[in-house]
Amino acid sequence: MDQSRIRNFCIIAHIDHGKSTLADRLIERCGAIRGTAQEQMLDSMDIERERGITIKMAAVRLLYIAKDGLEYELNLIDTPGHVDFTYEVSRALAACEGALLVVDASQGVEAQTIANANMAMNQNLEIVPVINKIDLPHADVERAREEIEMAVAVDASDAIPCSAKAGIGIDEILEAIVAKIPPPVGRDDKPLRALIYDSHFDAYQGAVAYVRVRDGAVKKGDVIKMMNTGSTFVVDSTGHFGPGLQVNDGINTGEVGYITAAMKSIGDAQVGDTVTTRDEGASEALPGYRKALSMVFCGLYPSDGDQYEDLRDAIAKLQLNDASLQFEPETSAALGFGFRCGFLGLLHMDIARERLEREFNLDLILTAPSVDYIVHKKNGDVEHISNPSEFPDANEILAIEEPTVKATIMVPNEYVGAVMTLCQERRGTYTKTEYPTPQRVILYYTLPMGEILLDFFDKLKSNTRGYASFDYDPDEYTASELVKLDILLNGDIVDALSFIVHKSFSYNRGRAVVEQLRKVVPRQQFEVRVQAAIGAKVIAADTIKPFRKNVIAKCYGGDISRKRKLLEKQKEGKKRMKQIGSVELPQEAFLSVLKVAE
Amino acid sequence: MDPIAVYVHTPFCPSKCGYCDFNSFAMDGEIIDRTVKAICQEILRSSLRGAPAKTIFFGGGTPTFLSGEQLDSLLKAVFEVHPPIVGCEITSEANPGTVDASKFASMRESGWNRISLGAQSFLDSDLLRLERVHKAGEIERAVLAAREAGFDNVNLDLMFALPDQSRHAWRSNLERALALEPEHLSLYCLTIEQNTAFYKKNLRGELNLPDDDSQRDMYEDCLRICAEQGYEQYEISNFSKPGRECQHNLCYWYGEAYAGYGPGAVGCLPLSPDLLRYTNLKHPERYCQAVENGDPIPFESEIIDVATQRTERIMLGLRLNKGVSHEGLPQGALAKLEQRGWIGRDDQRVWLTAEGRHFCSEVALELI
Repeated sequence: MDQSRIRNFCIIAHIDHGKSTLADRLIERCGAIRGTAQEQMLDSMDIERERGITIKMAAVRLLYIAKDGLEYELNLIDTPGHVDFTYEVSRALAACEGALLVVDASQGVEAQTIANANMAMNQNLEIVPVINKIDLPHADVERAREEIEMAVAVDASDAIPCSAKAGIGIDEILEAIVAKIPPPVGRDDKPLRALIYDSHFDAYQGAVAYVRVRDGAVKKGDVIKMMNTGSTFVVDSTGHFGPGLQVNDGINTGEVGYITAAMKSIGDAQVGDTVTTRDEGASEALPGYRKALSMVFCGLYPSDGDQYEDLRDAIAKLQLNDASLQFEPETSAALGFGFRCGFLGLLHMDIARERLEREFNLDLILTAPSVDYIVHKKNGDVEHISNPSEFPDANEILAIEEPTVKATIMVPNEYVGAVMTLCQERRGTYTKTEYPTPQRVILYYTLPMGEILLDFFDKLKSNTRGYASFDYDPDEYTASELVKLDILLNGDIVDALSFIVHKSFSYNRGRAVVEQLRKVVPRQQFEVRVQAAIGAKVIAADTIKPFRKNVIAKCYGGDISRKRKLLEKQKEGKKRMKQIGSVELPQEAFLSVLKVAE
Repeated sequence: MDPIAVYVHTPFCPSKCGYCDFNSFAMDGEIIDRTVKAICQEILRSSLRGAPAKTIFFGGGTPTFLSGEQLDSLLKAVFEVHPPIVGCEITSEANPGTVDASKFASMRESGWNRISLGAQSFLDSDLLRLERVHKAGEIERAVLAAREAGFDNVNLDLMFALPDQSRHAWRSNLERALALEPEHLSLYCLTIEQNTAFYKKNLRGELNLPDDDSQRDMYEDCLRICAEQGYEQYEISNFSKPGRECQHNLCYWYGEAYAGYGPGAVGCLPLSPDLLRYTNLKHPERYCQAVENGDPIPFESEIIDVATQRTERIMLGLRLNKGVSHEGLPQGALAKLEQRGWIGRDDQRVWLTAEGRHFCSEVALELI
């Protein structure tokens, strides 16, 4: 299709503002899918549908006949909605000329609305504001309009009111996409330059590169070259997204589509790389974008040591479709062989665990998540350490630096006090306050990443009755007075339970973890002593009394099934326990460190 | 057809006790007669018609909350469908507050030959706490009335580890029960079940329950005192004079099939090599409706396949003093348990030791 009739756009929104539903309506309206009953077509993973969030980007080509009578090709590139996956948004944006900025009419502008809109504006995208959910009783379109103008600095006078759920305003949105978002302006007479903005791995076709062609064109049989890695491939097939992969006879200038070329690993189709032709190719690559950084690390171990190989295969397979997942082998005295894995955030970690357990049928133990610390040793060595058990002895350490984030918290003004208190408790440094509207405040703080790992987000939500929204960006490392806290069971350190904590919190956290362990560790046949210690100094201790009996008093006809099921459940639970020395620990024990922020 | 154990559930009680999680309802009036008729219908339509009754057991609820006539009509229906074998044990549970000489006489005449009395405690303060309707004095009177009516096979249910109960109080309870010379004793440690008033009270910290060690001591008292008085333990919680074991309950513990009739009754039918276990609709109204409309009466059923039967065989067999057959049990686990002193074994069977009886579930967990 002629470039003048192509529009590449994405939808950006705060989580739950209705992005996926709007995408569904646009797809339906353009007849890309007929009579499908499955809602949220772009959310392809079960987990995405269950949690109501989009993790993996997908794209779809819509053919739309506008009021001017002409047919347009609209390429919609979906974006994830959770703060953990901000980097994926930036990738999607790089493939577009415009973005629909969706704001919930009853919620107004939220932290991620601002973060995503700023990202889009930095990439010179045309922003088309859409105010969604106008059919809700608490909808306030005028207020939302005002907030968009004040907080995002986008002209919202012609923001389109809509209800994706009720199908109101869909035609107006499609017309606005055609009228307002500029067509691509690539050069079809120049050598191929296509940006890989995403990829996935297919067992039969190898890596599938999702591309946005800037200049030139690509078709089956072309010999292509990845400008960053330098490797070359012969194109097996090209296609567009229907949704789903639909083979076509080539991707032309300005279009969005996919390429398969017998690429054996996802690394062959690096996201951010530029595809050109091997012969007479382009000399200058397209600008890539920031690489995803692992922010959160934890140990992943199979409950059953025999499953180590299975776990390795499973993580490797998962990584094929999730380039932001990093892993390397590690061993723990307590848990045996496993992997240190890096994630974008806690949700990413949780989803990876769930996928490994669900799709690969593994029983996993996760150690408490940690961030990546920089440790300066007295002997002059400087090390990055993300596993608390690998921390050197306190007397070898000169200084420790920890990563921080720039946090943006948006909140109705009556909760400012509560948010500031929380941020201060979490060692936050106040930066500034903004007032986008008389009722709403944006607070900027620098916070240690390690403090966000605990229940910061939960606390933020509960302290503001759910009204606060939150976004963050990695910031620099700062020196901090941190200590390693060890947990001992019957006198032995359990390395998988060690964690790093600020000195001023160490006593409280130590006591809280001991208390939490006393709650989650089931009584054993013998007494179990639980202690928290810094170096050789025990700072908190408790004991778990042994059980002295376990017998069912009565079991007759009607009760047999119930009692048997109870027994089977206990047996399952026992299987999932990890034997540490002589003590059996349930999975929750390893995450008890997370649940104790005061 | 092979003889089978028959259970009939009458779900009505004068009031609901705080610890009870059985299918029971404090209902009175027309619904009782309607339910009795419905149970009779269920029995008469049974797919097991013709299978002789090996044992018959009326449980509840409180069977003796029903009138002599109502009880008689139920037992007649059972006899019609399941002719009793010679020596068939025919038990009814009874609440000491709901029986008298004439009720027992009428039941004896109908065909019952065993009475199981829910005594629970000989202390009025305990009975009040347990929300029982009877008084301690009524237990003795009930036993005498049963004897007078000709029952020579009487069981007393007692509970220990009651709130605030001392070991001394438990021992004197047990001694008062033994003084009545019952043929059989069921001695249960009070279990706090979910969905009971006691469960909520316990969560609120309102029940001062004896700890694990006190419970063990009280249980040890059961074993010692019963043995001294000539009662043999044959199951975790059950003791009897020689030859007076409850035949009906043994069927459960041996994993045999049984028919169940009445609201909430559970039955377990042979479906060789599997078993089919079903549970009837629990609420009397809904149960009656189903019977009257000819709708299915069970609301859930489960196929007990051979592997599951094995689990149940271990779980139930361990409860018996004679234990469970060796066959197919993991040798490693057996060695470990033996070393721990929880089991004894010979070349045929495995059984719990006196210490192991405190850990019956733990042992089952290791062996299933």
